[in-house]
Amino acid sequence: MPDMRFAPPNPIRIADRSPGMNAVSVRSYNERLVLSLLLQNEGLSRMEIGQRTGLSAQTVSVLVRSMEQEGLVSKGEAQKGRIGPPTIPLSLNPQGAFSVGISLGHHQTDVVLIDFVGTVRFHTTIENPHPDENTNHSDFLTTVQAAVDALPKSNRERIAGIGLALPEDHHELELVPNGTIERYESLREEIESAIGIEVYVQNDITAAAAGESMFGAAKPLTDYLFFYLGARLHNRLVLNHQIFNGQMRRSYDVGLLNLQNRLEGTDNPTAPIWNQVGSWPDLGHAEIEWRKECVDQLNQSLEALSQFVPVTTVVLSSQAPKGICKQVIGELMNLNPNVTALAGDLEISPKAIGAASLPFSSKFTVQ
Amino acid sequence: MRSILCFGDSNTHGQMPGGTPLDRFGPEERWPGVMRRELGENWYVIEEGLSGRTTVYDDPIEGDIKNGRRYLRPCLMSHAPIDLTIIMLGTNDLKRRFQQPPSEVAMGIGCLIHDIKELAPGPIGNIPEILIVAPPPMLDDIKEWESIFSGAQEKSHKLALEFEIIADSLEVHFFDAGSVIKSDPADGFHLSREAHHTLGVVMAREVLAIGWDENV
Repeated sequence: MPDMRFAPPNPIRIADRSPGMNAVSVRSYNERLVLSLLLQNEGLSRMEIGQRTGLSAQTVSVLVRSMEQEGLVSKGEAQKGRIGPPTIPLSLNPQGAFSVGISLGHHQTDVVLIDFVGTVRFHTTIENPHPDENTNHSDFLTTVQAAVDALPKSNRERIAGIGLALPEDHHELELVPNGTIERYESLREEIESAIGIEVYVQNDITAAAAGESMFGAAKPLTDYLFFYLGARLHNRLVLNHQIFNGQMRRSYDVGLLNLQNRLEGTDNPTAPIWNQVGSWPDLGHAEIEWRKECVDQLNQSLEALSQFVPVTTVVLSSQAPKGICKQVIGELMNLNPNVTALAGDLEISPKAIGAASLPFSSKFTVQ
Repeated sequence: MRSILCFGDSNTHGQMPGGTPLDRFGPEERWPGVMRRELGENWYVIEEGLSGRTTVYDDPIEGDIKNGRRYLRPCLMSHAPIDLTIIMLGTNDLKRRFQQPPSEVAMGIGCLIHDIKELAPGPIGNIPEILIVAPPPMLDDIKEWESIFSGAQEKSHKLALEFEIIADSLEVHFFDAGSVIKSDPADGFHLSREAHHTLGVVMAREVLAIGWDENV
């Protein structure tokens, strides 16, 4: 038996000796543990990382050093503690990794580029193609390429991937022109061959929940009921950070489409309710009635769930302005004082940011 | 109180650039002393620097007492329990008489790491934290030492990478001293008073960054 102690060194992970991202695409479980922790918490010391992961100080030291060299992690200023020695906080380097997210809605398509801490570096929307047009792919692919090109060339190898959020709710799919669903099916391949970056596909509501969980209001939460207010109202149950993504999905007609239908009988314009930023004009009685119906449905879903799972925290994410979400959850908390409700924090297209979070969770986190 | 063993060569001993092993910086000037002052009263710093010390080689000229591996075990046992062992060696292995490439010097460091792990001289028989420090590269002009070290200068630039590879694979802490200090031009491989000061301050920071559990 050769003495294995003196075999050639076989490092658990050696950071690339040239600057830039490590070529190794599969990260070790321990590395993912540390990165998951840093995605959730800013400024952890090596000791805290060790305590929370159960890894030894030496293992943490090796992992952190290699991720520092790769530029995924960066050191902060030493902090003088109340007791004990000063600690050096570690955080994700915002420029360590990037990701593109695409959300295909019945109204428009959103494309974002985000950095490693979820800051939106590029955002644009494109109109959906006219039903008579055969394709909008040239326009679509140009826009995705523009998101990639928003980064300097030297940083492009740091793009972890492209996330694609696709609607699956059959009520919402009825709203898109004929032939669109068939287009969706081939999109992944088309993007991959045109842009040359790996594409991750996810249900759009689940993607939005993932986005709020990684970068938004749900970051500190472990168990909650997630609602997405779009054309319709959707929900997902999240337990222990895991988004339940089952096949039996229901949506409710108390969303923006409901409001639009109510407004169509009035003098009010309907276009502003599809705006993502700013606020709505006063929409009068129709809006109040709609909100009541929406809040009632939220409460019913919560009541139904409470028979099985004691979840009292709600996150309401939406493409609508945050002020609207705050009004809705305010009324929900009035109606049901046991509930703690939070408005989503992703103000630019939660579905697209959520889509962009997929490559990060696939490549850098413990699932 | 936590104890730190600094196991090194003339640059841990505090030998003055251009001097002899008898010309030594004072206890407060050499890097272990600076580190001790920076860390404060809860740390006990043990200095074990020997001029000419190699990682694992018996020196045919200076004698087998310069072999770091022979002395490391009794040294650890003498000072146990030890919370942290800092090893800064490698330069003497590059002497012409040993004819070793940088990767073999790193293997020698690996050997010392294995010895520490086997002996487990940490608190309650645990393995102590181990910090490998790569010495700063030698300068091209090493004065009258040229004949002894001929060819070592180029190799010395590769020690940091080789040491980091071995530290990563054996999962121990690593620091490249060459990232903060340079060798002194007086002889091209010893450290000036200022370099000792800088190294001591930075080493204290590295020691604290290990993340010590305050409850133990």
